[in-house]
Amino acid sequence: MPHYDVIVIGGGHNGLVHAAYLARAGRKVLVLERRHVLGGAAVTEEIFPGFKFSVASYVVSLLRPEIIRELELPRHGLEILPLDGTFTPMPSGDYLWRVNDHARTHREIARHSKLDAEAYDEYGKPMVEMGRFVKPILNMTPPDPTSLDPRGLMNLLFLGKRFQALRDQDKYNQVQLMTMSAVDFLDQWFETDVLKATMSASGIIGTFLGVRSPGTAYVLLHHYMGEIDGAFRSWGFARGGTGAISNAIADAAREAGVEIRSETAVSKIIIKDGAAVGVVLTSGDYLTADVVSSSVDPNLTFLKMVGEDNLPDEFVSDVKRYKYRGSSGKVNLALDALPNFTAMPGPGPHLRGAISISPSVEYMERAYDEAKYGRYSRRPYIDMVIPSLTDPFVAPPGKHVMSCFVQYAPYHLKEGGTWDDHRDAFGDTVINTIAEHAPNIKDIILHRQVLTPLDIERDFGLTEGNIFQGELTLEQLFFLRPAPGWAQYRTPIRNLYMCGSATHPGGGIMGAPGRNAARRVIKETKTGGRR
Amino acid sequence: MPHILIIGAGHNGLTTAFYLARAGHKVTVLERRDVVGGCAVTEEFAPGFRAPLAHAIGPVRETVVRDMALARRVTFLRPDPRLIALDTGGRALAFSHDVARTAEAIRSFSAKDAGMYPEFCATLQRLGGFLSGMLELTPPSIDAPAAGEVWDLLKVGKRFRALGRTDIFRLLRWGPMAAADLVAEWFETDLLQAAVAARGVFGTAQGPWSAGSGAVLLLNAAVDPAPGGSSVMVKGGAGALSNAMADAARGEGVTIRTSAPVVKVLVSNGKAVGVTLEDGSEILASAVISNADPHRTFLSLLDPVELDPSFLTKIRNYRARGTVAKVHLALNALPSFRGVANPADLHGRIHIAPGIDYLERSFDASKYGELPSDPYLDVTVPTIGDPSFARAGKHVLSANVQFVPYQLANGESWDAGRSRLSSIVLATLEQYAPGISAMVEASEVLTPVDLERRYGLSGGQIYHGDPALDQLFTMRPVLGWAQYRTPIEGLFLCGSGTHPGGGITGASGHNAAREIRSVLKRTKR
Repeated sequence: MPHYDVIVIGGGHNGLVHAAYLARAGRKVLVLERRHVLGGAAVTEEIFPGFKFSVASYVVSLLRPEIIRELELPRHGLEILPLDGTFTPMPSGDYLWRVNDHARTHREIARHSKLDAEAYDEYGKPMVEMGRFVKPILNMTPPDPTSLDPRGLMNLLFLGKRFQALRDQDKYNQVQLMTMSAVDFLDQWFETDVLKATMSASGIIGTFLGVRSPGTAYVLLHHYMGEIDGAFRSWGFARGGTGAISNAIADAAREAGVEIRSETAVSKIIIKDGAAVGVVLTSGDYLTADVVSSSVDPNLTFLKMVGEDNLPDEFVSDVKRYKYRGSSGKVNLALDALPNFTAMPGPGPHLRGAISISPSVEYMERAYDEAKYGRYSRRPYIDMVIPSLTDPFVAPPGKHVMSCFVQYAPYHLKEGGTWDDHRDAFGDTVINTIAEHAPNIKDIILHRQVLTPLDIERDFGLTEGNIFQGELTLEQLFFLRPAPGWAQYRTPIRNLYMCGSATHPGGGIMGAPGRNAARRVIKETKTGGRR
Repeated sequence: MPHILIIGAGHNGLTTAFYLARAGHKVTVLERRDVVGGCAVTEEFAPGFRAPLAHAIGPVRETVVRDMALARRVTFLRPDPRLIALDTGGRALAFSHDVARTAEAIRSFSAKDAGMYPEFCATLQRLGGFLSGMLELTPPSIDAPAAGEVWDLLKVGKRFRALGRTDIFRLLRWGPMAAADLVAEWFETDLLQAAVAARGVFGTAQGPWSAGSGAVLLLNAAVDPAPGGSSVMVKGGAGALSNAMADAARGEGVTIRTSAPVVKVLVSNGKAVGVTLEDGSEILASAVISNADPHRTFLSLLDPVELDPSFLTKIRNYRARGTVAKVHLALNALPSFRGVANPADLHGRIHIAPGIDYLERSFDASKYGELPSDPYLDVTVPTIGDPSFARAGKHVLSANVQFVPYQLANGESWDAGRSRLSSIVLATLEQYAPGISAMVEASEVLTPVDLERRYGLSGGQIYHGDPALDQLFTMRPVLGWAQYRTPIEGLFLCGSGTHPGGGITGASGHNAAREIRSVLKRTKR
């Protein structure tokens, strides 16, 4: 029975990044993945013969360039393709189209408002500044504001000093970004409703908030942070689908000596005298290690695998209070041909980027209102991509795959019955909504897969179907993620660490939590340490 | 002795006037209307019927009450029960000052909640107590904190740590939270949740599910930690309080001119040198203090050329979205509310919003410029504690109505909207006080637009600007200008649009006076 330095629970992208860094630091690492395929929510699966889908997560958002570089992911097969622009069809028959080509975007926005076209260029400048300010925070272990630990205070001081160093206008913007709603923030810059609606959408993805809810402005930064990452593109599609990212990371991990076992599910974490010493598998076997790192969410880690009795009461109530409430669903379509949008008929570059059903701020807000009372939006916000246009390998010749991210689909339904009863109706709602803009959609669907929050929970082990392992709301960020006082990848159980999206800086295919947590584990455990 | 002008005799303007005069300054207060008090007034709305516009107050900060000897000049009423929350099933939940008694009342709804209530009160006490100190603090300057500021901050930091780990994290979590989530962590009874969470949304453009409503809840706890509020009132209404403050100010030598509307602040090479009145007359002064809200002060009383464009933009972006309407009813008898046996129990505030979703839905409507079919009502019947508001046997009902949009959808005019609103309010009241409609002799409906026209509240915003995460403390009214000063030398702010803002507490006026005094001292040297 081999003994490991570190056992990593979950072969999601964070678990794999975490493992890779530990192995490169000389640790003997084992990764245990419940499913037959690696990647967690970052997987490519051939659900229908010949059609390969990025089943859950479908775009790379801010995969840390440090990770791409340090793990040499391109050498391990990672290729990120550009996701060019966002196309927003409108019921009026008009559309909004923003592309990476500035001049063109300028012209397009000017069709709606000359003022906004000017403002759009202006807007980018401070956003890049803000992005520069926020970036280092992603790679930082959050300080504990209640402790007098000098390193923590230094971190706070560091943040304070950098904030001081900002120009007054940037200070003002920064504070606004952290506290305002996306719409209130954008109202200060733009007058074009559809522009504000589409931009604000990024602020609500994966949260149970509306575009008018404070705290949603911050995510507007992410787009510009992608730009700063520069050389290594950190925003777009992965060739071969999102799973290709996980495979590249897994490859790098194996090369570094990591052992990876799929179809191996953990049922319990073994605790001895308040310390983690190994795991029990669903098969009944057990494995021992000096350190256990969990990349699954706090609910699974602490309430299922550790058990309340092994934890302090206050921590247990914090973990129970931690909010998931998944709010999104996914519809994956195998298409016989391309959708034909009334607003811009025929095939064309507008289909190569994101296609956003977000025609107005009121549309977005009303979609949210329905969800608040436990209904899925009858006219939802939909973010569509057709990767087969950029990466033919994922579909048979002439055919296409279309991935539709749908919000809002509240995990806790109050419509009578469970999600199993509403899955098809939900799928139809999505198709009907798309059909309002692309009438031919119904005729070209070969296969359709509908993922409700319940399915996301079942298939990917994401509690309540939250794609970020817990809501990205202000009270669950930085030193409050996942629990007050436990934001430093440590847990109340000695030698048990957290390394998933439920830790700072949270969700998206960023890899930062896995990398930050690895730094922590390496610092706190000796190489091959046997204690 | 240099002469100071204060624009507006609201309660904050009067407080600032008092403190500056007491410090030896020559102060004149210029009030647009024929009565002092701003929103803290008691006015006749129908022959023989008077109502307080603000029907419950702060309470006013203890220091202000003491310094202005207000307890000697007016009678403060502390109704008990302070708040009665009504549910749709005809049951009522009475919040008393006594925690144990309230817990008992809660027990008939939920034993679990009854058990939680005392700890919740104690927690609000502790967190409110800490924040209460911040209310009387001048927000530090972000760029270069002065020695004194650093010292203040260190003191705050010390008290912060003294709170202990659990409370510190509560403070950090609760601020950005949604009030609905906050109360759900403590209570299971919808009525109780709504009655407590309501203070996180009252007067704001956010619902209980809006992130950040927790901060408003905490801000209220700093002023008054009792869940749901103490409902402090004044014999004779808020107007009596304002008159008392005016007397106190006059006692220190302050001159108060009513019916003296200021239309412009005179600025000469970047310095405020006086004001112009509506009649064209000019009054020169060494300093001008505005009790008006930031929009009115900077966008209407000042010539835009006097202000830096980026500052102007920030002020324009300062959100002041009124959501409260005021309804006054003249009643020929005392209405009886379902679930309330003893009429005397109605002396406090009556909360009509039986659940979190109810609150949120009424907010939803206002987002689209619609009137809520079931509005959130914060009601008092002032005649119960003070018959002087109406002729013998008659009664007055005063209702804050939320959420009422400032601007109605599809350009509907408020003349049409007003009558719709009043029938909605009556229909709602009828559900909780059957037969009340038949008692109505006369009524007055003040829409957010009316509040703007009559009381000078830009956007009808009763707090001089939304209390939102990005418009509080060092960001009130805007980051960099939270110290009661303005880009115009010699022009200051002292109203609710400055830290800490909020209800009738005198805190802004008190802080402003302190700050202005030190500035004037420095400039004299």
